[in-house]
Amino acid sequence: MSGFFHYFSSHASSFRGEFWGLLVGGLGSGIIYAMVAIGYTMVYGVLRLINFAHSEIFMVGGFAGFFVLKYTIGSSTPTGFSSVLLIILGILAGGTAGSLIAVLLERVAYRPLRKRGAPKIAYLISAIGASYFLLNLAAKEFGRIGQSMVQPYTDHPVFTIFGAPVQMYTLIIFIVAAIMLVGLDRLVSATKLGRGIRAVAQDSETASLMGVNIDKTIAVTFILGGFLGGVAGFLYAMNVGVLYSMGFTPALKAFTAAVLGGIGNLRGAVLGGVILGVVESFSVAFVDPAYIDVVAFAILILVLMFRPTGILGEQIGRAA
Amino acid sequence: MKNRLNKTVAALATGALLLVAVPVAGFASAGAATKPVYVIGYEGPLTGSANQYGLNELGGLQLAVNQWNAISTLPFTLDIKQFDDQGSGSLSPAQAAAAVAVPNLVAVVGPAFSGATHAAQPAYLAASMPIITPSATAVGLATGGNFFRMVYGDDVQGNADANFLINVKKAKSITVINDGTFYGAGIGQVVSDFAKKVKGETVKLATLPQTSSCSGGIASVAQFAATATVIKHNNPAAVFYGGYACDFANLLPALAKVGYKGLVMSADGSYDAALMTQTTPISAAKGAYLSAANCGSSSNLTGADAAAYQALTGIAPASALYDAQAYDAGNIVVQALKSLSASLATNTITQTRSAIVSYLHANSFEGVTGKIAFQANGNLVGSGKGNIAIYQITGKDLPTKHACY
Repeated sequence: MSGFFHYFSSHASSFRGEFWGLLVGGLGSGIIYAMVAIGYTMVYGVLRLINFAHSEIFMVGGFAGFFVLKYTIGSSTPTGFSSVLLIILGILAGGTAGSLIAVLLERVAYRPLRKRGAPKIAYLISAIGASYFLLNLAAKEFGRIGQSMVQPYTDHPVFTIFGAPVQMYTLIIFIVAAIMLVGLDRLVSATKLGRGIRAVAQDSETASLMGVNIDKTIAVTFILGGFLGGVAGFLYAMNVGVLYSMGFTPALKAFTAAVLGGIGNLRGAVLGGVILGVVESFSVAFVDPAYIDVVAFAILILVLMFRPTGILGEQIGRAA
Repeated sequence: MKNRLNKTVAALATGALLLVAVPVAGFASAGAATKPVYVIGYEGPLTGSANQYGLNELGGLQLAVNQWNAISTLPFTLDIKQFDDQGSGSLSPAQAAAAVAVPNLVAVVGPAFSGATHAAQPAYLAASMPIITPSATAVGLATGGNFFRMVYGDDVQGNADANFLINVKKAKSITVINDGTFYGAGIGQVVSDFAKKVKGETVKLATLPQTSSCSGGIASVAQFAATATVIKHNNPAAVFYGGYACDFANLLPALAKVGYKGLVMSADGSYDAALMTQTTPISAAKGAYLSAANCGSSSNLTGADAAAYQALTGIAPASALYDAQAYDAGNIVVQALKSLSASLATNTITQTRSAIVSYLHANSFEGVTGKIAFQANGNLVGSGKGNIAIYQITGKDLPTKHACY
């Protein structure tokens, strides 16, 4: 027991010096998880379906941004205002591609099942099938070797927080994520479209009787979730490049984040993502990095033991 | 109608006769004047995140086979069959099973990767299949029997790397990171053990499992940013990474982002053109060191062979790691076949494979990589001193300028 305290106290002492750096890194990962988790949670909210192909929406968003920037930037080195424009271009490319794939998935893989009243297991298999289809299609078309993103900006420390450098990349994802997450929250909670989504999430039959177009609302939900997933893919790819399998692990973590925060709950997805990213990052100060995923999932299990519906534990229909 | 039926029956009968005429083992075709065909297998990553190694080596083997087939007096014809394991230990047993099932496949050049070799060894051993790897360097693979390798193992390369960091670059503290693979953990341990023997050295060890940037990896890329923060805080003089380019390309930017200024080094698992295309931004790789077991006489193909290799594969030989080793591996298999050709016609396939294993153990060869002779455990004879190349990344391309240690 004393050995444990010695181990913990020695690592805690070192952790104090690493705290801010780990926090910044953890928030960066967590924000990406949160943006992807939104897609899972929105689709779950309206369809009670885990869209396992969301990892491929993330991947497609990364590739869309990659190709757009590759052919726009060429061999130049963008700076200043052109960097801002290129980042916006990449975001739009990633988000649009994500939305297109998401709505295509809804039309091809899920809507036919919904119209025929298929059992939930059929949705699950359809989702997994769509995921593998897209994964292997991307491997065939884009190759199985990773490629780095042509950088639309020059990464450098912008400022420090208690000695921890905050890179331009980290600042970009914070700004983009903040705009998108706040925008989505307002859209769902304060617009007619958002009311429709919440109504379908609460009770689709009653919503239909009240004049809400179910098909359109579900499609819009996929578009919104897909947009965020695609943008997240682009932001992620700016850091680590693109690869056909790039969506697998981040999406798995995002799904975990959605469950941690309360599946079906938008704010819960954001909270879950941020907590997961920060806990993962902090864990490296105490245990071998090989345990990073073990720690993340142990936290999930612990939370679910005491709060089976997640931290916020609400559904999208009651979230706002 | 009857006439048409007769034609059909005749065609079927002819087909059946042709099938029967082909020997069961597939060693010779029906015609007496036709040479027997022997197949050499190549197992390695031909797709996936590390396929450049496989393409380099397959090109070397193909060149050797083409050159032999061009000799009209050769008493047999050679063919190559490819077995793509993507460098993965989970895929290689199935590829090995497919290879041993080919009736006239006499030897395998490969597998290329240590983990894949380790996983496939039982299947190859059970079939008495000689496996001559151009690049699998893990220490634990050298167990003798049917295993041979054309490069010095990680005991030699890891010690040379650690010696370079400690005695040449005067690093007083080292953090050793590995990717948890059979190869990465092995060479990381060798570097760590060497460094621990040196008085005053501080060594920290960590495992960062392969991420989804690598074929088959599932760990989170987030581990690199967090680990880099801890490394920056501890500020060791050097970081050694035992693993492959697909993840070294994630570690380098993470270290650059936190402002780590110490030495960074990896071994031949990272000497891959993919490192230069995947590291984002590429400037993060500048100054990093790489090693490979291909120095001195055992470097890349040269002269006419190099030109023929480039024409055949489109790959520049100067950066085609282990092309020459694969070329030599193909050549020694053919030399064994030539020497044993008198007895091959009456041998079963298992006897032929076993005879090649015995021949490789009993003989030495002159190759483009120098003198090749094997110890009982399959390792090359000699200490390996001077055979480890150390490169430094200076630009956007994989470095070719190196020093030998």
